[in-house]
Amino acid sequence: MSIREKLLDFKRRLSDRKMYSITILVIAAVAMWGMYQYKHAANLRQELDNQYNRAFYEMVGYVNNVQVLLMKSLITSTPNGTATTMQEAWRQANMAQTNLGQLPISQHVLANTSKFLTQVGDLAYSINHDNMSGQNLKEDQYELIEKLHGFAVSLDQSLNDLQNQITAGRIKWGELADKGTPVFQRTSQELPGKQFENLDKTFQDYPSLIYNGPFSDHLTEIEPKALTGENISQEEGKKSVIKFFGEDKVEAVNETGRNDETKIKTYSYEVTFKNTPQEQKASVDITQKGGHVFWMLYSRPTGKETIDIEKAKELGIKYLDERGYEGMVDTYYIKEDGTAIINYAYKQDDVIIYPDLIKVKIALDNGEVVGFESKGYLHAHRARDIPEPKITLEEAREMITSRMEILSSGLAIIPTDYKTELFTYEFKGKLNDRDFLVYINAETGNEERILMIIDTPNGILTM
Amino acid sequence: MKKIKVFIILVVAIFISVPIYFSRETFVTPIVDRLDVGMENYEVEKMQQRLKNWGYYDGEVNGKYDFATMRSVRDFQKTHNIPVTGIAKEDTLTAMGLTTTLKWGEVYAQSNQTRDEQLMARAINGEARGEPYEGQVAVGAVILNRVRDPSFPNTVAGVIYQPLAFTAVADGQINVPIDPDSTVVQAARDALSGWDPTNGCLYYWNPATATSKWIWSRRVVKKIGKHNFGL
Repeated sequence: MSIREKLLDFKRRLSDRKMYSITILVIAAVAMWGMYQYKHAANLRQELDNQYNRAFYEMVGYVNNVQVLLMKSLITSTPNGTATTMQEAWRQANMAQTNLGQLPISQHVLANTSKFLTQVGDLAYSINHDNMSGQNLKEDQYELIEKLHGFAVSLDQSLNDLQNQITAGRIKWGELADKGTPVFQRTSQELPGKQFENLDKTFQDYPSLIYNGPFSDHLTEIEPKALTGENISQEEGKKSVIKFFGEDKVEAVNETGRNDETKIKTYSYEVTFKNTPQEQKASVDITQKGGHVFWMLYSRPTGKETIDIEKAKELGIKYLDERGYEGMVDTYYIKEDGTAIINYAYKQDDVIIYPDLIKVKIALDNGEVVGFESKGYLHAHRARDIPEPKITLEEAREMITSRMEILSSGLAIIPTDYKTELFTYEFKGKLNDRDFLVYINAETGNEERILMIIDTPNGILTM
Repeated sequence: MKKIKVFIILVVAIFISVPIYFSRETFVTPIVDRLDVGMENYEVEKMQQRLKNWGYYDGEVNGKYDFATMRSVRDFQKTHNIPVTGIAKEDTLTAMGLTTTLKWGEVYAQSNQTRDEQLMARAINGEARGEPYEGQVAVGAVILNRVRDPSFPNTVAGVIYQPLAFTAVADGQINVPIDPDSTVVQAARDALSGWDPTNGCLYYWNPATATSKWIWSRRVVKKIGKHNFGL
């Protein structure tokens, strides 16, 4: 039957009354379904739009508050007053940053704005910390806040302009989030996106901020302290790899690339082993300077556990000793899926030095080391001059709440969030059936940190 | 005529079955079938914590269903008019609010992963399922590097769900169930434990499919599998 005949046949059948009504019915049903889907999609889009608007308006509000609070902090004259305003600025800047991260705008467009808000919050927190111990604003802090306040004023102004454009309906969130059809892609991505790019220009020539906080700009620039030795070639790096795994085990080492872009420059290799399937490979990075192993990962299925955690800890120490990392002691571990990740810290003159950290991952079926990570160690390790503590163990003990039952104590060097170190007494104790670690500064007697120990069947974690 | 009838029935059947198919029924059920004396697990611990909060139990919250725990369960049952057995079955667990949601056909599944680990494993699953192990750890490491960078949100969830950040989030790939044999959970764990094959990278892209022109302005630090990792 030709198409023409089919159509004619269809037409004939349509003239049948029953068939006619059925067709109408089907069309109506499909139309209703389509309407429902359309309304549903429109509702969802509206809901999303409302969320974006909420995030934006909240952010504008928080930025305005940050601006005002920075100004106020310059005027208050007591450490207490500054601490209160700084605390509030910290909170408001954080909320502004959180809301910024929810806007449907590519991250790189607002990267500087986001950085500004994070650092304002971070700096406010750090200053608040200083003020709590009774210090007034120092001259350099005063200048820093003044500078940041200037940026906050500009940001506040630009955001108000943007808000007006959004209220007037000139910017639609949907257009920013939609990738759109290829034909309209250009216009829809460029027009409103441009507005936000210009907003980000507020932070051209934004200064590097250096202060005591985890987001301070100087942290990425710190020189690694244990990166000793001569620069080696990628070929020589292979020797380090073979030595690390053991000549009797390694089948082949292949170069997979080099990284010259970061502070610690590395060579990358892929290793296959004798008597194991070819697809089970280990990846390893060797530092270009000195040929140290930066990290290693060997992913293989693990069989039945035959080794307990105590044995694994010993194996790890032996493994580290053989590779020249002497004087390491195990601290915490996690055990899961047939492997244990054990943290080792350096110990010097009975002081545990937590920043000098190496992680060793051990397969519990045969005790083989399947992972190694020495970023902490390479950054921090050195022979330290550890001073005599200025306060005695008994004095430090007095600082701890009498509600806590103290089980053990010792000296430890702990890292701060901003990569400096603190010399402390470490107390392990119990309160309400929970285990805690409390760190008291061995020089000032300040309570520096409290960690809660979570002892699970899978290992010991600290929070 | 018969044909028409069949046709009508078919249309009606489709209209009824489609909504049913898409809303597989879920139901609320206790977290486990029963908790009994001698058991020792996290579920018992959850129950002890609640009993302690409400003043029925004053022992140690240790996950061990011992005699003291049983006595406190009996006290709870007495107060709530549940048959006093000392064994926490469906009625008791429901009364305590220790319930979970299941879909038809699913069985109880225990999970001792932390929130971040689960979320990150799913993100890696969506973004780098078919990649070598190193590449999976690297994707997790990029997420963590972003958390620590001031230009990005400061939480794992904030980074993963940042609009336009990950294609696997935008197209729902992140919700694809994780294959039990897959290495993505291990990879998430290694990334959270501090392994970073990318040496601090903040971006990655697939050179074969990347559409953004901007991404090509990034410095490439490393290539792993199909992805370029960069700063």
